[in-house]
Amino acid sequence: MNNFGVIEVASTKTKNAPGWAYVPDIGPSPAAAALQPTNRKRAVRNQTALSLSDVSARQDTKVRKDLEALDRDIHRDANIPIPPKPGAGRAQNKHTPNVRKILQSQKTFANHLDDYQALLTLAETNPAAAAALANAAPTKPAVPSTSARNSPAPTASGGGGGGSSGGGGGGSKRSAALAKRAALVTAKEQKEAAAAKKAAKVKSEPVFEAEHNTTSGNNDGGDVEMTDAPPTSGPGEGAAEVASKTTPSGSATPTAAAVSSGSSEPQLQPVLPPPPETWYQADGSMLPAYKRKPPVAHPGDNDPLLVSSRVPRFPTDDELCALMTAPPLSYLEARAGWGDEEGRYPVRTFCEVCGYWGRVRCLKCGARACALDCLQTHKEECFTRYGL
Amino acid sequence: MAGGAKSRSSGGPAPPSKTLVLDNGGSTIKAGFVAAGDNADKKPRVIPNCLARDRHKKTYVASELDKCKDFSEIDFRRPVEKGFIVNWEAQKEIWDREFFYDKALQKCDPASTRLVLAEQPNSLPALQSHCDQIVFEEFGFASYYRGVGPAFNAYHDIQGIFRTPRAPNTPVNFPAEIILLIDSGFSHTTVTPILQGRPLHQAIRRLDVGGKLLTNYLTRLISVRHFDMRSEPYIVNEMKETACYVSLDFKGDLEKTWKGTRGERRQDYLTGSAGIAKDYVLPDSHTRFHGVVRDYEPSVSARARKGVVVSTEDILTLRNERFVVPELLFHPSDIGIRQPGLAALVMQSLSVLPEGLWPGLLANIVVVGGNALFDGFVQRLQTELLELVPDACTVRVARPEDPIVSTWLGATNFAKHVHADRLAVTKQEYEENGAGWVARKFAAGLGVDT
Repeated sequence: MNNFGVIEVASTKTKNAPGWAYVPDIGPSPAAAALQPTNRKRAVRNQTALSLSDVSARQDTKVRKDLEALDRDIHRDANIPIPPKPGAGRAQNKHTPNVRKILQSQKTFANHLDDYQALLTLAETNPAAAAALANAAPTKPAVPSTSARNSPAPTASGGGGGGSSGGGGGGSKRSAALAKRAALVTAKEQKEAAAAKKAAKVKSEPVFEAEHNTTSGNNDGGDVEMTDAPPTSGPGEGAAEVASKTTPSGSATPTAAAVSSGSSEPQLQPVLPPPPETWYQADGSMLPAYKRKPPVAHPGDNDPLLVSSRVPRFPTDDELCALMTAPPLSYLEARAGWGDEEGRYPVRTFCEVCGYWGRVRCLKCGARACALDCLQTHKEECFTRYGL
Repeated sequence: MAGGAKSRSSGGPAPPSKTLVLDNGGSTIKAGFVAAGDNADKKPRVIPNCLARDRHKKTYVASELDKCKDFSEIDFRRPVEKGFIVNWEAQKEIWDREFFYDKALQKCDPASTRLVLAEQPNSLPALQSHCDQIVFEEFGFASYYRGVGPAFNAYHDIQGIFRTPRAPNTPVNFPAEIILLIDSGFSHTTVTPILQGRPLHQAIRRLDVGGKLLTNYLTRLISVRHFDMRSEPYIVNEMKETACYVSLDFKGDLEKTWKGTRGERRQDYLTGSAGIAKDYVLPDSHTRFHGVVRDYEPSVSARARKGVVVSTEDILTLRNERFVVPELLFHPSDIGIRQPGLAALVMQSLSVLPEGLWPGLLANIVVVGGNALFDGFVQRLQTELLELVPDACTVRVARPEDPIVSTWLGATNFAKHVHADRLAVTKQEYEENGAGWVARKFAAGLGVDT
């Protein structure tokens, strides 16, 4: 497997040149058959109809080309040179090498994105090479020679400088400052976590535990009292729900009214309304607790049958901490994709001529039209594009 | 570097008193100065972020575009691509002319100024490092912070935007505790949950539909159905801004604007589709330089079609184009973009966060960016979200008074806040530690120590 040191980078990404699409070759293609007919007799009659894959490939190509066109700034490439400077502007100082390189770069965003992806791929397959490449990039600023402090300054080693999300092998050696900062943070984290834990234990552990186990069953806390549900539901069911909906959720803290109906089981402990001052302090220090008076408890709040207004467990300080310090995602990771939700519904189709629902389909190219009128208009255009 | 900032400010030079706040958007730059003491509400200058060339081959740079009268067949070159500064050659020229030349309208001396620059989230490391290098090595700002643009919106009186009932003279604490910010701008639309002024990076999601794509789509629709407008981006953009709206009942509106099957003309269609059809008078670049929206008059357009009256003005009747175009924000799949709509985008963002944060985020959704100006945008988002979120959650969506400059205003509040001193990097630090260190410091953000 010694492939002369060449490492193959397998990529699933294909570049499509405009106007081309790779189509699986299934069966005789009419286009190829027309060029080299095997049997010249009755050629017109024997012509196979366009297969489904042909039509869908045409459509895919069209959609992709359309999207590319929509993504562009203007329909043609405008190369507007920078006009000369008005009068005697700012004294033209010399650019540093880094700046000159940046200014002269004619890279587009797509180029930068490809570079970034290539660096990521390289970092996965060959960390050493990636690190070398990253270090080769000039990240050290041009320090004026008068400065006396340029000898052992902690220089950057993460070439792209993208924090921990950047090139994987890039940031092998963190600077001392960052390490110190991390140490500080962790120390603080631990202290806070301990404090939060203590607070939670003292104040409201049973309630939170109960909410944890809504699905698995609430039988680990032996100290929680269980009572039977009252036989009838209160008259104010709907009202209670409304009340819990309109609680001031702007403050983002669970309110007494909603917390009280904690789990989805028919058996539920009657939650004693604790004194408001202590109730709200259980949340930790990250998001300060709701200090003002809670809304008046509704009589229906303790009804075990009203379970729809469960307030989820509020995240602890540790969780919040992790969320707030998480590194940024990369450009591609942040792009929202199609989840399961979107696949559930069929894509809406529209008439390509007038914009109403696309109810019929052109047999030749698969384009949609709303009715015969628009289909006629479309066919004229279709003939000019694909021939008869 | 929380501890380091303090010790430095006692020993080193004091932070500069003047701050240049820049929201360098894809379409416009929002720029203005903040001094340490002033509390007056300022407005930024909104500068077109482009080089433009009209059909007489005259070139306009940035704010010179105001002098341009005739916008027909105008071409643009933009330094910002997909929301990020890519072409520094053009961007430097624009900044030079607006801020650094002797005759610049907002002249400043970088050596005694701090720069607060808003950037889009999830940028590429290479572009970020280019930006840092240019700021320090070319312009030489004394102090600099480059932060995620949406997060600056947390430095607003958020509850004031929602008109939450509260006691008068309640002190407003910056940053706001918790907001879910939707920034729908020229290049794309992002959803950013923000906790205490810190963006929750894992949950930031982007939809690649922005104002530019909407304009291009409208251009295509008009070019197919009316005139070829492909060389008139400015005029179409104006048309989009004045005539388009977000439909609250898409099916119904589409039904009303349908002309009918062959030979048939439906009554709704002839009478102007219950107010949806509008006549748009195109600028003729002699007497009129901006388009005008008029109510649809069936008789006028019918006569014009028959050629009875030779009209002096070019009238374009907009029907379903008015709401189909902004609909892309809520249904990108309509044109084959395989991405979720805005409401589903919010849900995707929430799905990576603990459920305990949902009520707070959903009750504090703020929409900024130019697309938020579409009529019905806020209502539509609220309706669609209510269908998706758990029943018990309150959904509140609000739009600040001027959604375009909202990020800039937040950034000015940030510049006056202690956080600015904590996060900013001085030129000296940059020279000592290098661009990689600066990038890491900015990426780390505020950390957790409150």
